[in-house]
Amino acid sequence: MKTTGTIDFDSLRRIAHDNRKKILDMVYSGGSGHIGGALSAVDVITYLGECVIDYDSGERDKFLLSKGHAVPALYAELHHLGYIEDGELQTFRKINSRLQGHTNLHHMPLTDITTGLLGQGLSYGVGMAFAKKLKNSRDHVFVMIGDGEMHEGQIWEALMQAGHYKLDNLILIIDRNGLCSHQPVENVISIEPLRTRLEAFGWNVKEINGHSMEEIHSCVSGLNSQFGKPKCIISHTVKGKGISFMENNGKWHRNVPNEEEYKAACEELRLSGEETI
Amino acid sequence: MKHYPYSVPKDVIGHKLIEIARDNQNIVVLSSDVSVSTNVEMFRKEYPERFFELGIAEQSTMSIAGGFASEGFVPVYVALAIFSNGMTWAQTRQVCNAGLNVKIIGTHAGVDDGQDGSGHHATEDIAISRVLPGMTVLSPSDKYEVAAAIEAMVHHAGPVYMRVAREEQPVIHSENCTFPIGKAEVLKDTGDDFAVVFEGSALKQALEGFELACSRGKKGKLVSVRTIKPIDRECIHELADSVDTIVVVENHSVLGGLYSTICESLAGKKARAVIKSVGFLDKFAESGSSKDIKEKYGLSAEQVVKAME
Repeated sequence: MKTTGTIDFDSLRRIAHDNRKKILDMVYSGGSGHIGGALSAVDVITYLGECVIDYDSGERDKFLLSKGHAVPALYAELHHLGYIEDGELQTFRKINSRLQGHTNLHHMPLTDITTGLLGQGLSYGVGMAFAKKLKNSRDHVFVMIGDGEMHEGQIWEALMQAGHYKLDNLILIIDRNGLCSHQPVENVISIEPLRTRLEAFGWNVKEINGHSMEEIHSCVSGLNSQFGKPKCIISHTVKGKGISFMENNGKWHRNVPNEEEYKAACEELRLSGEETI
Repeated sequence: MKHYPYSVPKDVIGHKLIEIARDNQNIVVLSSDVSVSTNVEMFRKEYPERFFELGIAEQSTMSIAGGFASEGFVPVYVALAIFSNGMTWAQTRQVCNAGLNVKIIGTHAGVDDGQDGSGHHATEDIAISRVLPGMTVLSPSDKYEVAAAIEAMVHHAGPVYMRVAREEQPVIHSENCTFPIGKAEVLKDTGDDFAVVFEGSALKQALEGFELACSRGKKGKLVSVRTIKPIDRECIHELADSVDTIVVVENHSVLGGLYSTICESLAGKKARAVIKSVGFLDKFAESGSSKDIKEKYGLSAEQVVKAME
């Protein structure tokens, strides 16, 4: 885990804001991508990249973005950390690019997992958590899934397995933006009462506003000193967060903005950026 | 006909994994509630800290194996083939997509779990594993070759699927045999009328068919393919140039299995041999002893000889 001194929350907010613009640019220039779920997840991903995951280290904490379609958020943060060059962001989803449409170990080993089929990432986290305990490592494994992804049966297999083995080096983050591909999760197949269900599976569960850097930091750092159970953060977020006409609108699960929409989104981010600064 | 000792190939799995794990601290064994049936229960007793019982949750178990491999371990997931292979295709595909060093053993190959019925028969595992980029597919035959194949798969980099017979098989190898991945083995060679080419769990029927043909005056070869992917093209092409008939024998569907693999390797090549298949046609079987199912559904020494006519 990164050793960080005093957390500069304003700085984290500025980085997350810049990452939002990069997400917008990637999807717009690539002509493809899942913008809504990237914008809901980007604050947590920015926090983890800045304060937790030490990507320079060989043996380190791992971050598995099981909802791999939100990968523009991770690429944006890896760009901020210097692992992706400026011009490279424009190659997202294009031929011969390292920036695949979902996380991919071959093309970008720092993404820690190959995804593309929902439901598998938490199980990888379970395997890595077992492995780190076998190595007597104190590293943690963070896994982010979408709330709609919880419809996958394999998620519940892994929830049972992690709970049974009390894998307290495993931290599951549920990006609870409330929407599946285009409609409310609760209308498709309800996952509530979510917290009760997770606790019944043997998990230590916290709930936060996933857009608040203070709450993210308080929760993640607080969980470090809790043992005996796997840990879950239900991160309440807004799909499309930061671009008003995309917020909570299922259309923007994987819609690509046209030129007019792109300009409007840029202007909104410019104005909100001035407020952030 | 020569008399051979018989044994159950899957019974060596636990012993061999224990032997390998003694020197290789990175070996971990994963089970989905079938550790007794697959003979890895003894591994749990010997190395409990490196044995992971993950319950009847095959999909998650396969991805957990991927997680172990990502951290530098060599996970060996052992279950009946219909579980470790049949239940996990999407997860196995993702393991291959990432090129992870996961080892998968499927026991009770083909119809070897006869009495449990068609739901438990693994007659498509070669087909659905060999199409995955990066996957290596092994089919050792008798108990000594299975042990050698386990050693080879653990030392081979990348994902490997290995099917292992549950039905008793004649022991034709010595204890110190080796398993070079990618190389077929010519077990017998009396002439060029025919070649019986088989995958490991069909050893008994292939061997008996070979001997029956010889007893009726034909001369030929008996070839264990051993590695289905990558297929030994050189050996197959030499056979196709030298014999009149190649009979491909498999405890598997004739669609997508060894017969398909051999035909693909010979496609576009002018050759002397005609290629015939002995295996299961495109239908689900039924409950019964594996011996009875094989006879009723077309995998027998008589069918091997008949295919040469």
